[in-house]
Amino acid sequence: MLPFDRLVRVVDGWAGVHREEEVIAQIGDRGVYEPKHMQWMRFLPPDEFAAMVDRSRLLIAHAGTGSFLLAAERARPIVLFPRLASLGEHTSDHQLQTARWLQHKRGVHIAMTEEELPSAIAAALAHPEVVVESIPPYAPRPFLSRLRDALLN
Amino acid sequence: MSIPDAPPQAIADQDRSGKGATRAKRILAVASGGGHWADLCRLYPIFAGLDVAFVSVHTSYASQVSGHRFYVMRDVSRHDRWAIVVLIPQLVRVVLKERPDVVITTGSAPALFALALAKLLVKAKTIWIDQIANVEELSMSGSLARYVADVWLTQWPALKTRRGPDYWGAVL
Repeated sequence: MLPFDRLVRVVDGWAGVHREEEVIAQIGDRGVYEPKHMQWMRFLPPDEFAAMVDRSRLLIAHAGTGSFLLAAERARPIVLFPRLASLGEHTSDHQLQTARWLQHKRGVHIAMTEEELPSAIAAALAHPEVVVESIPPYAPRPFLSRLRDALLN
Repeated sequence: MSIPDAPPQAIADQDRSGKGATRAKRILAVASGGGHWADLCRLYPIFAGLDVAFVSVHTSYASQVSGHRFYVMRDVSRHDRWAIVVLIPQLVRVVLKERPDVVITTGSAPALFALALAKLLVKAKTIWIDQIANVEELSMSGSLARYVADVWLTQWPALKTRRGPDYWGAVL
């Protein structure tokens, strides 16, 4: 995964201003910016990451569907900040598509720019009870059945 | 994304129609990290009772599919092409060791190489499911998958066309 220093830097700045909040960051293998105001690690195994989510009030993430699914499965609010291909943050701008898809969902707060991030975080924290609608752990049964048939036949 | 230990039994039961041959089928399930792996995990019940090996980009993902063989592959992208030099031998080794009858993937670029190699080396049936993040257009890998996928799917009905990809549903 490409680095996403823009997100890490802004959230670190936010954490510096909001000392009363505990902010923990997974920043990825290749980021150059190292946070000063929050506890951070490069990568957490999925089990530990999920346990961390369960302890949290809010997720702040790139606009990746994996992050959104985790927020849904764990019933948390989430702030999504799309990676941009023009800044070398991803190979394409599909996170803008994801953001447009998810922007009206309950518990989802989109920030399109660095400037919008703090207000999106504030909006999410102001209503911690508004979480992403929870989903079952697996895909809908008809889709699973059809794929199962494709595996077997 | 955690996966409960026991996948829904009903999915596994539906094909116990006396065809013993289905037991011996070997499946290779491939996905790169993040949302690609999350999509694959949401399909986990389709693998119930089958001989499946998983391939992804982080060793720690193995714990989510414990009880199955697990291989790590090098992630590649258009910005990181030299990684292909590492990836291809890894995948050749996995494909020749597993000799899968079917390869199924939710992307991305490294998985496209896995499909092509499995088709070329062991004539596997190949299934590409473009990741759910590709809402308005297929990913670049997803477009190229038309050349190597026997079953070529998008998770968005609006992206289905007469000449493919097809739409069978989505992980949500």
